[in-house]
Amino acid sequence: MASSIAQWTFSRRVTQRRDLLRELLVRDMKLRYKRSYLGIAWTLVNPAAQVIVYYFVFRILFKVPTQNYTTYIFIGITAWNWFQAAVLESTMAILANRDLIRQPAFPSALLPNVTVGSHLIHFLLTFPILIGLVIVNGIPVTAALLWLPVVIAVQYLMILSWSILAACVHVNFRDTQYLLGVFLMLGFFLTPILYDVAIVPEKYRRFYQLNPMTHLVEAYRTILIRGETPHLLALTAVAGISAVLLWVFYQLFQRASATFVEEF
Amino acid sequence: MAGTITVDGLSKKFRKWSPDEPMTFQEVLLRGLRRKRRDYFWALTGVSFRVTPGRMVGIMGFNGAGKSTLLRLVAGVGRPTEGKIELRGRVGAILDLGVGFNPELTGRENIYVSGVCSGLTRREVRERFDSIVDFSELHEFLDFPLRTYSTGMHVRLAFAVASHIEPEVLLVDEVLAVGDLAFQKKCMDRMKAFKMNGCTGLIVSHAPQAILTMCDDAIWLDHGRVVAFGPARDVVGQYVEATGTARKMPETPTMPPEGAAVPSPIDQTVSEPGVPATSAVADQPDSAP
Repeated sequence: MASSIAQWTFSRRVTQRRDLLRELLVRDMKLRYKRSYLGIAWTLVNPAAQVIVYYFVFRILFKVPTQNYTTYIFIGITAWNWFQAAVLESTMAILANRDLIRQPAFPSALLPNVTVGSHLIHFLLTFPILIGLVIVNGIPVTAALLWLPVVIAVQYLMILSWSILAACVHVNFRDTQYLLGVFLMLGFFLTPILYDVAIVPEKYRRFYQLNPMTHLVEAYRTILIRGETPHLLALTAVAGISAVLLWVFYQLFQRASATFVEEF
Repeated sequence: MAGTITVDGLSKKFRKWSPDEPMTFQEVLLRGLRRKRRDYFWALTGVSFRVTPGRMVGIMGFNGAGKSTLLRLVAGVGRPTEGKIELRGRVGAILDLGVGFNPELTGRENIYVSGVCSGLTRREVRERFDSIVDFSELHEFLDFPLRTYSTGMHVRLAFAVASHIEPEVLLVDEVLAVGDLAFQKKCMDRMKAFKMNGCTGLIVSHAPQAILTMCDDAIWLDHGRVVAFGPARDVVGQYVEATGTARKMPETPTMPPEGAAVPSPIDQTVSEPGVPATSAVADQPDSAP
């Protein structure tokens, strides 16, 4: 052992965590499409296929009148996919990394972050297509675009809170994955992804307001299609509630994490 | 270096898995809702010891004696049912080999992932990279995926990465007997280097020789209890005798462990009164692979 390790300082710990997140993210990205011919392009194939099918069903068969329908549903679908894939995959975040959580002082709460982060990257990779669609459709690109990082950050917070819950609950209750599958399928249709929230009858509307994805999808559309500042009060509410939930679920996670290793 | 391990009255209870226990909703319905009493077993009961800075302590015992459980609890993985563990110093553990390894990634990529997962920063891995590769002797295979490695190569790479951590408190679980004899010797030297650096350690091993070479003191664990704790030579002798593998050997062990006769600074020695301390040492441990 020739070189001596840097001091075990706070800053080294921060660096170590950052490097850990980075290495695990890179590992995840490298492995996801390893040995597949299309590779990372699969990230685009999936939403593209969804857009084509829904366009045919809702635009051509049901004649939904919404303008710029392709762009409209593309935003909704990719934002929703980020949420769905991250939460669903987080159920395996602990179980698939047994060797890691057996390490002393391993920050297991980092693992759901890796899953959410990895799907964030996939979400970001669809943006060139999205911006392309906006331009092709002649929608003016405005400075409102600068709000995008804010909305993405709020969505990250929201997804992370539920991913942390999913990760720790699934360790002891393995039905979580299947239950989530059902709820997410319902959620997809109960979130205004394929239609406008304006067509929802008044008496159901407030249930829609309880769904954070409603506000997030709306915010993306306000920015990209209408070129306006998103509804800041709604975004603040989503961020605030998500932060509280994140704190609560994180406590649960930490409590459960002491016995994770015994549950395999 | 100031690593200290204090274990005080440590007990660990596990729930016994019973085949009758309903695992699914369907099974619950089928067997009705009568609740079965849960069975527990104690993996560790009332284990206490103290390791002072710079001492290496070996842990021996038959399978199921609670060695790995003890090590894992000391590492802070899992929660003790009773008792306290106090650790001072930076902990590094070699409990599993190949932490974070993935068969699809290359040797080079795996070194980074595994090093960082073992608690190093990227920069530290980079600084140690050449040394890790030299240790593993896998220079020409670095850019091949790990799945193309033989078991021996895999293990060599894993140990090379794992042993490049720089802890003050080192915890090692039965991972030393890997690779061929030459590589085992290297692993042994590596462990001695840790000791030279003033590392405090707990090492689980089945090989009496390994304990004698590396450790000052030893703990003999049986059914979750400390049977003996004292200078490595004495405890290893008792253990080997109890295993019934001790052969009649000349009184002098072929490899006298340095410092084995030095009285240990440990204030507490649990020793079963019936078992006499003996210096009989098998010079060809049966558990060598």
